[in-house]
Amino acid sequence: MAKKASKKDVAQLLKKWSQQFAVLAPSRESGVAAMAEWDGKDTSFLEWYRNTVVPPKASFLPPMEEMFRFHKDEEGYQIEPPSRNGQKQLVFGIRPCDARAMAILDMTFEDAYQDPYYLEKRKNAVLVGLGCTNPCQSCFCTSMGTSPTDPTDVDIMLIDIGDHFLIEEVTAKGKELLAKTGGLKEATKNDEAEAKKSRETAYNKVSRKLDTEGIKDKLLDSFDDEEFWSQTAAKCISCGICTLLCPTCYCFDINDEVVKGEGTRFRSWDSCGFPLYTKMPMENPRSEKWRRVRQKVCHKYEFYPMAFDVIACTGCGRCIRLCPVNWDITQVIESVPEKVKGAK
Amino acid sequence: MEQKLRQEAKALLEQKRVDWIIGFTPGSLKFTTTPLITRDKADTERLVINPFITNNLANFLTEIKGRVGIVAKGCESRSIVSLIQDNKVAREDLVILAVPCPGIIDLAKIERLVGKDRDELDDVSRDGDKVSVKVDGKKKDFAAADVLFDHCLACELPTPQEYDIILGEPRPPAPDLKVSGQNIAELKALTPAERWASWENELSRCIRCYACRNVCPACFCQRCFVEETEPQWTLPMPQWQDNLIFQIIRNIHVAGRCTDCGECERVCPVNIPLRSLTREMYDTVDELFKFKSGMDKDALPLMAHYEQEEAEDFFK
Repeated sequence: MAKKASKKDVAQLLKKWSQQFAVLAPSRESGVAAMAEWDGKDTSFLEWYRNTVVPPKASFLPPMEEMFRFHKDEEGYQIEPPSRNGQKQLVFGIRPCDARAMAILDMTFEDAYQDPYYLEKRKNAVLVGLGCTNPCQSCFCTSMGTSPTDPTDVDIMLIDIGDHFLIEEVTAKGKELLAKTGGLKEATKNDEAEAKKSRETAYNKVSRKLDTEGIKDKLLDSFDDEEFWSQTAAKCISCGICTLLCPTCYCFDINDEVVKGEGTRFRSWDSCGFPLYTKMPMENPRSEKWRRVRQKVCHKYEFYPMAFDVIACTGCGRCIRLCPVNWDITQVIESVPEKVKGAK
Repeated sequence: MEQKLRQEAKALLEQKRVDWIIGFTPGSLKFTTTPLITRDKADTERLVINPFITNNLANFLTEIKGRVGIVAKGCESRSIVSLIQDNKVAREDLVILAVPCPGIIDLAKIERLVGKDRDELDDVSRDGDKVSVKVDGKKKDFAAADVLFDHCLACELPTPQEYDIILGEPRPPAPDLKVSGQNIAELKALTPAERWASWENELSRCIRCYACRNVCPACFCQRCFVEETEPQWTLPMPQWQDNLIFQIIRNIHVAGRCTDCGECERVCPVNIPLRSLTREMYDTVDELFKFKSGMDKDALPLMAHYEQEEAEDFFK
């Protein structure tokens, strides 16, 4: 049975959770909307928050992360693991699109290679989802197998029912936390009905639609269509906004910083939109812009479905909203040509 | 103006005077446009001129092969002239379609004024010095000066000087350096330590997407210093000290080329006030060398020549 909490009591709820977790919540304190350590009092984000600019993946795959330190002594190179604070994160207010993105990232990070940096944070974390009431014009989650109030990929889901949130325990982890939290009222039948209405209203507000039927095969067939890809890429400026701020993009670069014999190895966000990404001593297979744009589109809509049977796009719309030239992935996907009959 | 543009652009393609047309067409989000780069004369019907033609289209010239008909506001024309000065583009390969520009609307300013996101606005329209915003069924009027981009308020060349076809009545410049330079004035009022802290704070957000560099017509290097590894001028990780070095060197590299088009600041996804750096450099260049980039295509590039009367205070 679902529970409920007054919006006015959110601060108290977060305070309770702060005793056990590093609570992250939407914040504009840094100058851009992102998930940031909750300051212990401010819940004004409940008013302004639609989604963050920086996706919550940043709390699990930070823009820059220390992998280890090293130095050389008489016995050779010595390696020290990074200092870990081991603190468990509770992400409050993650949107269903971004929670789905985390599930999509998990597939890569716990595939053949188990990535300890990502997985340690991820396994210890609790995701508290907050259903959208006011999706953006760029949102198209309902076309990507999720919705503004989809609880599938969070531990606890909150649905706006006026002056209260309906609270759903989704996973065992979420159930356990809610049981420990205490002080929550039971939701009534009326609350459940309100939540249903709230869900429907939000769902219907998502106006951008994308038909992805057969897209994997269409992309496969159009892979060599240089004319199409050149046209598609023409206005792209090869910046990293759409990839770095994509909640499902995970590429990173690895660099060493060595100061006076003391070294640190870092990994940091990288983008297939950059020519440097594929630069090798002899050649660069993606020196041309259209090849990089094709890679970005195909990775999400063709290669990821081949590997994991899911499109690596959740319709969060950041890439559309933030693009300097309004390069719109939904328009691109819809313009991928059908295979011409009789063509090779 | 729009009709004339469409006719002219179509004629240019039909008469094979150009291979490409670069202009603006409506974007996929409210109150946006998107660059249209086309060889197809049917596309010219989609060209628009409105208060949301934000991009600096000159940015595409260095990568396009062939002759180009390009829609140019004053700022674009200056970037084009600067590219001609640097031998990056040949004047004879261009047909410049000049748009006398009254300034572009900065939706972020409207968002702050009405407390709503851009996609929640019903309408934004401009009539002379007035911008009307319809939100929640109510109409609110603002002075254009309150909702135009800062760089537009500082604009010294609303109508291109260098053009082939002009699409409207020329507009006189009326730069308001006070309002457009407010950020810089506030930064200058700080102590060096406070200013340092302020930039540390701002640049800590940088994610190294390089949108500021890639959107900049003046940043045309084939190889950017930031990607060099021998020597490695700056680390590719987004730590603020390296972000600062990136911005400072980029700014020095575009000195004498930056036309204050404001694109770097507009596109920054994490709201770093980059124009405070670039505009300060622009003014410094003017003060030291009496040089405004992109004003005269026959002038030599700033860093490629020397005048005896130039400031040389650093030789001491």
